[in-house]
Amino acid sequence: MTNHPNFIFQDTMDPRGPAPQPFQRSEKPGRIRRRKTRRERNEALVGSRRPLAHQDQDPPGASQNPPLAVRDPLAPNAPKFMVIAQGRLSRKHRGLFNHEVKSLDVGRLLSSGSLDPGTPVLSTKCSPSPGRAREPTPPPRDKENQVPGGSGPGPPNTPKLPDLGQLLGELQCQLILPQAFPRRNLVQEARDAIMGNLQACHGCVPDLTLVLQPPLSGTKPGGPEKLRMTPSWINIPEQAPGEGRQRRRQETEEFTFAMPHTSSTPTTHREGLAPPKGPWPPLLPSLPSPSGAAWGPPTAFDLLKSIWLVATPPPPCPWGVGAQQPLPQPPSPLFPQTSALDWSPKPPTPQPSLSWVVAQSSPEAWSFPPMRLY
Amino acid sequence: MNGRVRPKLASLSDFQFGAVATETIEDVLLHLAQQNEQAVQEAAGRMGSFRETRIVEFVFLLSEQWCLEKSVSYQAVEILERFMVKQAENICRQATTQLREKTEPQNWRALKEQLFNKFILRLVSCVQLASKLSFHYKIISNITVLNFLQALGYIHTKEELLESELDVLKSLNFQINLPTPLAYVEMLLEVLGYNGCSVPATRLHATCLTLLDLVYLLHEPVYESLLRASIENSTPSQLQGEKFVSVKEDFMLLAVGIIAASAFIQNHECWSQVVGHLQSITGIALESIAAFSYAILTHSVGANTPGRQQSVPSHLAARALRATASSNM
Repeated sequence: MTNHPNFIFQDTMDPRGPAPQPFQRSEKPGRIRRRKTRRERNEALVGSRRPLAHQDQDPPGASQNPPLAVRDPLAPNAPKFMVIAQGRLSRKHRGLFNHEVKSLDVGRLLSSGSLDPGTPVLSTKCSPSPGRAREPTPPPRDKENQVPGGSGPGPPNTPKLPDLGQLLGELQCQLILPQAFPRRNLVQEARDAIMGNLQACHGCVPDLTLVLQPPLSGTKPGGPEKLRMTPSWINIPEQAPGEGRQRRRQETEEFTFAMPHTSSTPTTHREGLAPPKGPWPPLLPSLPSPSGAAWGPPTAFDLLKSIWLVATPPPPCPWGVGAQQPLPQPPSPLFPQTSALDWSPKPPTPQPSLSWVVAQSSPEAWSFPPMRLY
Repeated sequence: MNGRVRPKLASLSDFQFGAVATETIEDVLLHLAQQNEQAVQEAAGRMGSFRETRIVEFVFLLSEQWCLEKSVSYQAVEILERFMVKQAENICRQATTQLREKTEPQNWRALKEQLFNKFILRLVSCVQLASKLSFHYKIISNITVLNFLQALGYIHTKEELLESELDVLKSLNFQINLPTPLAYVEMLLEVLGYNGCSVPATRLHATCLTLLDLVYLLHEPVYESLLRASIENSTPSQLQGEKFVSVKEDFMLLAVGIIAASAFIQNHECWSQVVGHLQSITGIALESIAAFSYAILTHSVGANTPGRQQSVPSHLAARALRATASSNM
């Protein structure tokens, strides 16, 4: 902490070196805030160097770049540089970003390194490029987080500014609610209701990990095609490969007149779901989807996952061929070709998406735009 | 206040699916999708939230006592959260300004105390405002509110009550008709019915309400589980937590997770069909729906299932999430 900010000051604040030191030494520590602007420091620099140059009879170039021997007596210890840089940083950005001064660097935020789970969120970035030479390289985080009221040169006993998230957290924790509804525990009541439902429907609490299994058991995420969607733990009658598609087409045609007999599982009656009275368009799943795997912009959740997991792409065939193979993309102006971004293995024999096929054979064009849906 | 007969919410038999014209459903679904997309984008810069179990529970129980619809209680929570975030932002801004201008710094803790002192008043104002957005014959009158506050030991006048309402309205720029996940759930159930998904919509709806209550009550733990699942159960960093705020505002994702979990509870067999339809309607990846519904289900059974693993099994989650990542790239 003591050596690092020296470079910060020399590189970012004033490339001419420790010239402000005379001015700094003449100030009291408590009044160092007067030098927070560069103009003040430059004026002080000009005002203090010229007399020095005259007094010491230095050559003209010495004032521009004083030798190290001259600099050292003027800057006897590094922490003084650090104090200047720290004060400037904390004052410039305090309140706007509070402790997150480094968040100003959007490039660093978006860099994969900072998004890696193991990487520290706020890592010091050294930028030797000339374009960033004047950017303040932030000091270590603990120092940066201090407002001038602490051990810094600012006014003493200044209250530390609250961070919004921290303030909200404190508000939630310290809030004392009156005991208006004693003996009520909605969490437990809701859990009891769910458990009662599970007991009534299943007789026991089922294995919840079954929820995660359908996509992994040879299911292709391409619309509600039952043969592919139904996980292995659901017992359904087998159908011929072409039969499903044919039946689906039949369902689509008959949909406006009767409830679809889509389920090959035991029929569950729809309570309160009246049959459509008018000609409802074909199934929303039968939209002209170019791909069954991803046919719209990913959600924020998907985007974040893809960012956070991009460093560990899956092995070539992690869970069986055909489980997550990208489907062929029929030409559609709505969807860009994303095959270049896909690091999943290419399918050996591409099959057209069933939902897309259904859409092509649909008797009534469904104009619901999938891209706008999500 | 306890011991009295708990008034029931609106009867579930009042709900009827399949009664709305298809064009209306289509328009509403599109509108919800656009609204959701906008909300997700706007949430990217949000720095915090104000959803604690006790507070949400208080709002829910108060709404129950006042015989309000579930949608009103959800909306009251949304209004209260946004109002409190605004208030916290104001405190931060005020403290910063005072420090910059070197005026006599008012301790921000004093501002916080002011907020504390008026919190219950603000809370009931939010519920009252939400009731006014619902049916006119169920609006909570000032007398009812004042009586409730008085029973708790808070003495306020009618003028203070009106001022409190006005404060909330002004703070939120009079935009209090906030969307709730319930609208997404009900609309998706409606579309599921029209699309031929053989689901018992009314039963699903009832379970969805219970699950949605739980997600509201256990908002942070549920989304914490989801965040951990998205990073393969490692410890999330602060930045990842901040980025995840947008996911928390994705009501469409929440709705499909709720419906999928509800379908799993009701019937294993219709579950896969429901999930497939949901994926096709919303475009949300199957793996995301599965991951979210799993997080909801594990928190739903909670302590009632001793020995049950609460976090996503790492090997399953990793595979599912990789699949999602690859399918969305």
